[in-house]
Amino acid sequence: MTDNKHDRDHVVGNVDITRRTFLHKSLLTGGAVATGSAVGVFQTLSSMEIASAAMSEPFSFAWVSDTHLYPRELNQRFIDKTVRAFSEVQAMGDKFDFMVFGGDLAQLGHPVEIELGAELLQEVTIPKHFIPGEHDWYLDLGESWNKHFGETPWTFDHKGVRIIGVDSVGRAPDYWSARGMSNEERMAHMSGLDGSQAGPWSGLGSEQRQWLSSTLSDWPKDAPVIIFSHTPFYEYYPPWNFWIRDWREVQEILAPWQNVTNIHGHVHQPLYNEIGGMRSIGMLATSWPWPYAPEGVPALTRPMLRVDPGDHFDGVGWSNLTMNAEAHMEVEYMMWREQVFGVGRADSGTGDNVNQKLSPRISDRGWTGD
Amino acid sequence: MQSFKSKGLIALISALLCVSLAFVFMVNRASAHKVSHDADTLKAFNDAFMEQVILGDELFHGATMEGINMSNTGMACAMCHPFSSDVHPHEYPKFQEQMSEFATLRDMINWCIEKPNEGEIIDPDGEAMKALEAYIYWSNRGSVLDPGRH
Repeated sequence: MTDNKHDRDHVVGNVDITRRTFLHKSLLTGGAVATGSAVGVFQTLSSMEIASAAMSEPFSFAWVSDTHLYPRELNQRFIDKTVRAFSEVQAMGDKFDFMVFGGDLAQLGHPVEIELGAELLQEVTIPKHFIPGEHDWYLDLGESWNKHFGETPWTFDHKGVRIIGVDSVGRAPDYWSARGMSNEERMAHMSGLDGSQAGPWSGLGSEQRQWLSSTLSDWPKDAPVIIFSHTPFYEYYPPWNFWIRDWREVQEILAPWQNVTNIHGHVHQPLYNEIGGMRSIGMLATSWPWPYAPEGVPALTRPMLRVDPGDHFDGVGWSNLTMNAEAHMEVEYMMWREQVFGVGRADSGTGDNVNQKLSPRISDRGWTGD
Repeated sequence: MQSFKSKGLIALISALLCVSLAFVFMVNRASAHKVSHDADTLKAFNDAFMEQVILGDELFHGATMEGINMSNTGMACAMCHPFSSDVHPHEYPKFQEQMSEFATLRDMINWCIEKPNEGEIIDPDGEAMKALEAYIYWSNRGSVLDPGRH
């Protein structure tokens, strides 16, 4: 995909966020749509192109995450969307060098859910890399996940890019032992996004930060780095763990590298942020979209359109990412709807919330007798 | 003569009534409930409310009650609405696009139970609905009242 200023509708600093239309997902560029509206029979997808100085051999990869599978007999809907994502990735398999599964394969971490996910993943035959989400972890502390998908962190070099996958979920401070929680109770508290008992569970932890520092130590400062994590590498909204708690320490480690891209799941929504030479880009879920948090949405983010709760294929999907020859990261949200980004206030996922003021939930604060 | 006496009696009764009402009004003007609200009373009122908020919080996060089945998908309200966000109780009643009709918050709660959650609608005036409404309003307290806005 080449840059086309006629497509450009949002430029901030060195971030070039573009919008293109595609006819039936072909690479034929349709008419530019400055307002972000879908036109005629064109299927509108979205693309963000992020500029960088370093050069690299181009390649593409796919991201799928947050499938949140229940056992088959309970929820067929999430299975249908997972199958659709994997089938579409496989259908475009010639384009992709690999696929990353970005965590939260399961909803409650049950081995049945993880095994179901592993079965569905067999649809994708290109190389696959995995990082865990908190829903995959806190029933058995990663035992089933690691058995099926291997341990995290990991790293490899690919066409001039150092690629890293980290575990940002499995190193939570122990919130369960002193309260005498069963494994199921520990998982139940973790599985609620707005719960208060699991605390600031998201982070890399000191051991993994040391590993990250060591892994990057021999890598040229101007060469591109891609880091996959389940949760974002900055402080977006801590009450929902839309962050890593040690983001400042991680930023210190990454600061010398000029072209770092953090691709993350967990938020179930398009997000874009920059800190120094690092950009963080939020991915869609296949299961359901989260609302934008009541505060902390990065100013560089283009919010997605308000979602229709009556259409369970709305506001969800997967992502097609390309590191182009100029080491620009292009992100194309493969959302299963005609329009991705909200424009007018009444249609925006954040602009419609100007009158909203929220309070944290209350009942789980007393659940363990605190 | 008879008529004059009757008019005088009516005037006397009216005057006495006015004086009595004025006296009652001056003595009890401070309270529509005829008793003042001390701290214990207010706490009792709040406890009664918060009991419903907590019940609603549990239901919103996937708990169930006898006689209701709000979801057949494993989904709970809070999975799409953490902190009850994007429920927008302060914007009801309004024309609800998904329903293509003018709707109250209770109408929309039942729509979400029936459609996304594939559950069974609950009594719009029942215990569960009142508790859900209590939790949603409590979570959104301080929001600007803006009925009718999409």
